[in-house]
Amino acid sequence: MKTFPQIVLFVLALALTTAPVQAADTLMMATTTSTQDTGLLEYLNPIFLKETGIELKWVAVGTGKALEIAKNCDADVLLVHAPASEKAFVEAGHGIDRRQIMYNDFVLVGPKSDPAKVADKSTADALKAIYQAKAPFVSRGDQSGTHKAELKLWKASNLAPDKESFYISAGQGMIATLNMAAEKNGYALTDRGTWIKFSGQRGATNPLKIVVEGDKALYNQYSVITVNPAQCPKTKAALAKKFEDWWVAPTTQQRIADFKLEGKQLFFPNAGK
Amino acid sequence: MNLLYEGHNIQQIYAGVTVLALTSFVLRRGEVLALTGPNGSGKSTLLRLLAFLERPAHGELLWRGGGNAPRRDVTLLLQEPYLLRDSVYRNVTLGLLLRGQKKGLREAFEAAMHAVGFDQTAGMAGRSSHALSGGEKQRVALAARLALRPKALLLDEPTSSVDVQSARAIVNAVRKAIDAGTSVVYATHDRQLLDALGGRELALGTGSLS
Amino acid sequence: MNYFAQGFAKAWELLLHMDAATVSAIQVTLGSTFCALCAALLLGLPLGFALGYCQFPGRRFLRLISDTLLAFPTVLIGLVVYAFITRRGPLGEFGLLFTVPGMVIGQTILALPIVVSWLAQAVENLDRRCRQTLLTLGATPRQLILLTLRELRFAVAMIGVTAFGRVVTEVGIATMLGGNIRYATRTMTTAIALETSQGEFGQGIALGLVLLLIAFLVNALLVILKRRGRT
Repeated sequence: MKTFPQIVLFVLALALTTAPVQAADTLMMATTTSTQDTGLLEYLNPIFLKETGIELKWVAVGTGKALEIAKNCDADVLLVHAPASEKAFVEAGHGIDRRQIMYNDFVLVGPKSDPAKVADKSTADALKAIYQAKAPFVSRGDQSGTHKAELKLWKASNLAPDKESFYISAGQGMIATLNMAAEKNGYALTDRGTWIKFSGQRGATNPLKIVVEGDKALYNQYSVITVNPAQCPKTKAALAKKFEDWWVAPTTQQRIADFKLEGKQLFFPNAGK
Repeated sequence: MNLLYEGHNIQQIYAGVTVLALTSFVLRRGEVLALTGPNGSGKSTLLRLLAFLERPAHGELLWRGGGNAPRRDVTLLLQEPYLLRDSVYRNVTLGLLLRGQKKGLREAFEAAMHAVGFDQTAGMAGRSSHALSGGEKQRVALAARLALRPKALLLDEPTSSVDVQSARAIVNAVRKAIDAGTSVVYATHDRQLLDALGGRELALGTGSLS
Repeated sequence: MNYFAQGFAKAWELLLHMDAATVSAIQVTLGSTFCALCAALLLGLPLGFALGYCQFPGRRFLRLISDTLLAFPTVLIGLVVYAFITRRGPLGEFGLLFTVPGMVIGQTILALPIVVSWLAQAVENLDRRCRQTLLTLGATPRQLILLTLRELRFAVAMIGVTAFGRVVTEVGIATMLGGNIRYATRTMTTAIALETSQGEFGQGIALGLVLLLIAFLVNALLVILKRRGRT
C-alpha cells in the first residue's frame, strides 16, 4: 500500500497543474452557436489576443440563453443575431453600446425531391406551401436567433404551425436540427454558414438542398453589445469597449470578409452601415 | 489494590427482557472464574459487561474501586472471534499499535504466537487472516489478546468450535497466562475445559455464587 | 457503422498526436473530477459513517433523503447551483459560474449522495463483532472510526470508483456550470456533446473512446491496489 499516497500526490499534482491559468485580461463573451460552429471565432480569436492583449473566452448557446446569461451579469459582452430581442435587451437597460458588425443570411433547405414544391418561391409563399402540404418542418425550438427569425417568418405569413403534427420542435443546435431534417425528409431554416459546413460534411450523400435563398426577409444581422456596467458592476466595461472598437475596425472587418469555409464567404461585414 | 471487579445488584435488560441479574460480583487479582449455565443464562452478557463494551441497566460494576473503564487492562475473546482483513502479524500486534507502541512489536508477536502453539511464526506473519482455518483464527485472536498482557482476560467459550489440537494449544496458552498471574474469566459448557483451567465456578441462571 | 470505423481511426489519431484541445479537455476532466471526488469523500465519508454507525432520532429519514438524492438529475443539480453562483445569485460575488471551481461544486453535489449512502450501507452491513473487537483491543473512538474505515477500504475504493465514473461521464452539470469554454472548462463529455451537435460523429466517438480508456486505466489502478492491499 506504500504506493497509494504517491499515486494520490501524483494525481493531485496533475489536478493542480490543470487549474486554468487566468490571464490578466480576460473577457467573457456569451455568443450564439453559429459563430462558434462555423469556425469564425476560432479564426479571429488569436488575432484578437495579439492585437488587444485580451484573452477572449466564450460560451456558445442560443441567443435567448446568451441574453439571459448577460442579464445575470455572467458575461461581459455579447455577440448575437436577434435584432428585435437585442433592442428590447438594450431598452430594458441590460446592455449598452449595441453595434452591428456583419450579416449573413438564412436559407430555407429541404429534401432534394422538394415534396411541397417550394423552390424559387418567396419565403412567405414557401412557408404557406409547406404548411398546406403538411410536409415535415424541423425547427430549432430553442429560442436561438435562428429560431426567433423563423418564428418571425411564420408570423409574417400569418401562419401558426407550432401545434401542427408536421412541425417538429427539436430543441437542439443547428447542425443537429439539419441532421434531423435529413432523417425525417423535412424542411428547415438555417444560417448559410452552418449550411455550408453541413453540406461539406455530408458531401454527395446530402439529402437536403437549398430551396429558397436571397430573399430580403432572410437577412441575418449580427451585433455586439456590452453588458451594462451600471447594472453589473463587476463586468469589465473598459475591456468591452476595446472589444467593440476592434470588431468595427476596418482591418477586422476585412478579415471577416476574408473568412471562408469550403471556399465560400460566410459573413459580410457591415459595421457603421 | 487486590480487587479487580466489584459489582452490586447488576441487571442487564434487552428490549424489556432481563437477561442477567446478579446480586454481587467480585473478582480478585490472579483469580480464575468459570461462568457456567444453560444457553441464554447471561454468560456472554456478563463478559461484555466485564469488558465494558456495554453498561448495566441497573446497578454498577466498578473496576479497581471506581474511576474510568479500564479499556486497556481488560480484553475479551469473542466466541467467534473477528479478525481484520489484514495479515496475521497486523492482527496480533494491532492492540499494541493502538496503544502507540512502536518498538518490540516483532518480539511481542513471536512470544504471543509461540504461546498459542505456532512454532513457524515467520510463515504465519504475512498470511491473510481470511486464509486461516477456524482453529487457527481462534488461536491468532487469542494471541492478539495475550500480546496485550491484560490484567483480566475474558474468554467466551474459547474451545467450543475448534479442533482438538487447537483446543489443546488454547488451554496451554491460557494456563500459562494464569500461571503468570493474569486474572481469567471464561464462559463454557465444557466439563473438560473446566477441569483443565479450574477456578471458582459461577453458575448463572441461579443468580448466586456457588 | 461507418461512424464507428471513423471513430476508431480518429481515436488512434487523437492518442498518437495529442492536440492541445484534447489534452486540455482530458486535463480539465481529470482535474475537476479528482477535486470533486476528494471533496465528496472528505465530506461524505464522515457523514456516511455517522449515518451508518450512530443511532439517533431521524437517522432513517436522513438515509431516505440521501438515497433519494442518488436519483438527483444532473441537469437539476446544474440548474440549482447555477442559480446560486450566477453573479445575480447569493454566491455571485465569487464569480464561479463558467469556471472549473463552479463545475466542481456541482460535481461534488452529484458524488456526495453516492459516498454517503453507500458508505452508510457498508457500515451497517459490517459485522458488529468488528466494533467489539476493536474496542476490546483498546481502540479510542478516533482509532475506532479510522480502523473501521480501513476495514471497509475495499468498499470505500469501490465507492470512489463508482463516484468517479458518475462524475467523469456527466455532461449536464459540466455544460451548465462550466459553459464548455475551450481550453478552460471544456471536458471530454461536453466536447463529445459539442462534436455531436456539430455533426462530427466520428470525432465524438473518438473522444468517447479516449474517455473509456481513461476509465479503464482508473479501474485497472484499483485492481492493482486491491491486489497489493490483500496481503
